[in-house]
Amino acid sequence: MSNSKNKLIPFLCLLPAALILSIFVIIPIGYSFYLSFFNWNLIAPTKNFVGLQNYYSLFTDPINRKVMVNTIFYVILLVILNFLFPYLISLIVKYFIKKMQGAYKIIFFIPSLFSLVVGAMVFSWVLNPVSGPMAFILRKLGMTLPNWTNSGVLAVVVLCLITSWKVFGYNFILLLTGLGSIPQNIIDAAKVDSIPRWRLIWNIILPLNKGVSIYVLILTIVQGLAYVFTPINVITQGGPYYGSSNILYHTYLDAFVLYKTGNASALAIVTFVIFLFLLFLEVRFVERKEASYE
Amino acid sequence: MNLKKKLRILLGSLAVFVLGIALAGCSTAKTATTAKNKVIHITYWHVNAQTQGGTAVNALVKEFNKTHKNIKVTAKYNPNMYQGLMQNLQSAQASGKVPDIVQVGWSYTNYFADNFKYLTPQQASKDFDGNDNFIKNNFSTRTLSFAKNSQGKLVGLPYSLSTPILYVNKTMLDKYQIKTSELATWQGVATAARKIKQQSGNYGLYIQQPADTWAQQALMLSNGAQIEKNGKAAFASRKGIAAYQLYQNLIKENVAINTPWAQGIDDFVNGKVAMAFTTVAQASHIKQSVNFTAISVEAPHFKNEKTVVPVGGSMLAITAQKTAQQKAAWVFEKYMYQNSSLLTWSKGTGYLPPTKEAFNSAQFKTYLKANPMLKPAAKLIDKAVAWTSFPKNGLQAEQTMIDARDKILSGSNVASTLKKAQETINEQQ
Repeated sequence: MSNSKNKLIPFLCLLPAALILSIFVIIPIGYSFYLSFFNWNLIAPTKNFVGLQNYYSLFTDPINRKVMVNTIFYVILLVILNFLFPYLISLIVKYFIKKMQGAYKIIFFIPSLFSLVVGAMVFSWVLNPVSGPMAFILRKLGMTLPNWTNSGVLAVVVLCLITSWKVFGYNFILLLTGLGSIPQNIIDAAKVDSIPRWRLIWNIILPLNKGVSIYVLILTIVQGLAYVFTPINVITQGGPYYGSSNILYHTYLDAFVLYKTGNASALAIVTFVIFLFLLFLEVRFVERKEASYE
Repeated sequence: MNLKKKLRILLGSLAVFVLGIALAGCSTAKTATTAKNKVIHITYWHVNAQTQGGTAVNALVKEFNKTHKNIKVTAKYNPNMYQGLMQNLQSAQASGKVPDIVQVGWSYTNYFADNFKYLTPQQASKDFDGNDNFIKNNFSTRTLSFAKNSQGKLVGLPYSLSTPILYVNKTMLDKYQIKTSELATWQGVATAARKIKQQSGNYGLYIQQPADTWAQQALMLSNGAQIEKNGKAAFASRKGIAAYQLYQNLIKENVAINTPWAQGIDDFVNGKVAMAFTTVAQASHIKQSVNFTAISVEAPHFKNEKTVVPVGGSMLAITAQKTAQQKAAWVFEKYMYQNSSLLTWSKGTGYLPPTKEAFNSAQFKTYLKANPMLKPAAKLIDKAVAWTSFPKNGLQAEQTMIDARDKILSGSNVASTLKKAQETINEQQ
């Protein structure tokens, strides 16, 4: 009797979390999957079953294809700006600059405290190619700021820069903390052996910091795509002609502007599968590594 | 003795009975008083942030609550304009707790009518006034046509009216000897814009590019084109293509600027663009922001054509489901259409009053005199037509037109892009 009671206790302890997870995560995902097989405008009493049509159009519709390509471009840029660049800076701060490490942390982290809506509006004004302050300064220097809102590629670059302004500091601190947890004796031993500094970083520090860096890499992709939604919505609304849209913004556009919930759900499910794969990588490289320490 | 006792019992019973009746009467009277004093709560959903007429909404609601003891209106601001309100309304409908009166943007007329339960103004007027005099006496047939769905049914009452107008940097135009009379036609505007570009290096023109094609529809309509004919898209006509061609040429020549709405308006108020074709609702912002002489002129037309513009703004629709709330919403709606209320509304937003009486009132004329930038819009409202709302998949149709605009402004062939957009829309009808 008491044995069966003991068996129940862990389940009871998990119940609140399981309930919350079910209501806010599992059921919505399941419902989105269900909706992806229908054409429905969100409130009409009837839903039209269309089978796999929404998934089919996801890969055949030129706009969807364009959005997918944009998403890959976003991911590449976000990884460069929000992962590789902060990683490089954190390595420089940790191993090449001895003073003011705390000050750098604070300075880089400050933008993370501001709302992205505010950031997007400020950047939109500063980078206005015709009448913004940046255009004015460049004109004085005999240069012109390209009309970035007219070009999908340039718009994506600017939107990623705005996101980077927000995310850079947070990622920098995470990576710097990871570097700080590498045992100093290993580094000292390498120094005693007169190993060149680049080899120390490449062969010792980076492998030892793999867990944190993969975590930040995945965070950069998943969180970055979500973060970039705000500047897209404030500045370009995905334009010109979907040139700056990505998979998350397009899901929103389909679901809440055009009320095409079927298409939006199919897109959301594909996004979910991609993120699930990234989660798998995270578990494989980060969690397993931590488990192996135990 | 027995008789005396019996009489006492009878009298006692009678007294109890009378007292009972009296108390019951009192109780009924009290109940009736309570019912009479019962306050009906209704909610009004609007899209006006504090900087876009929200202050006027609050003032109107406050005054209404002060003067109507039996009705209490709570105003709720919905961010992200009519689209945001529509999204919130869907959630409200799903939860079964809908507001009682809402602002509906013109482009959502069919979507709203097809998917939400609402009380038509005629029904409200008939149920609560016993006649439809309020509608007949206050609104012109043209104004009412803006609020009709594709079946010709009146969905709500027109509330906010706007038209596009051409804002002009008069200081810049004077400098290059361009007269405003030359801006009556789009060809004249194009010539003036080219002159500005050549002589000053500044852009000549900006046509608003928000998440709708309202201004571009005005351009086509003013060349004699039709956006919709018998429920089908018809804008890819010779005249529609010619109108867009002029626009594309100006963009290609770098004479007009192709940029999102907020940046385009910034460029105009910063003196980098000579003319801006946008809504009259921007008048207040432009007036406050410019450091040059800014004026406005009527929306231009193409040579040998007349100016036709789609009306912008919104209507008020009653979504209350219970009779008491519907009645209160109707009382509130009528209050919102009083001259004084509409004047407060116009002053707070720049929208034109929808009723004949308010529009022709001395107060509004005085207001126009003090704000001459609104005059071209007021003059044009008689020539305005309903914003095209396609019978089926109207929101997708609008998106298709936005896509076509973006493609054309990025250099795609005008004729083939418009034809393809027209076909796409018609396939969905």
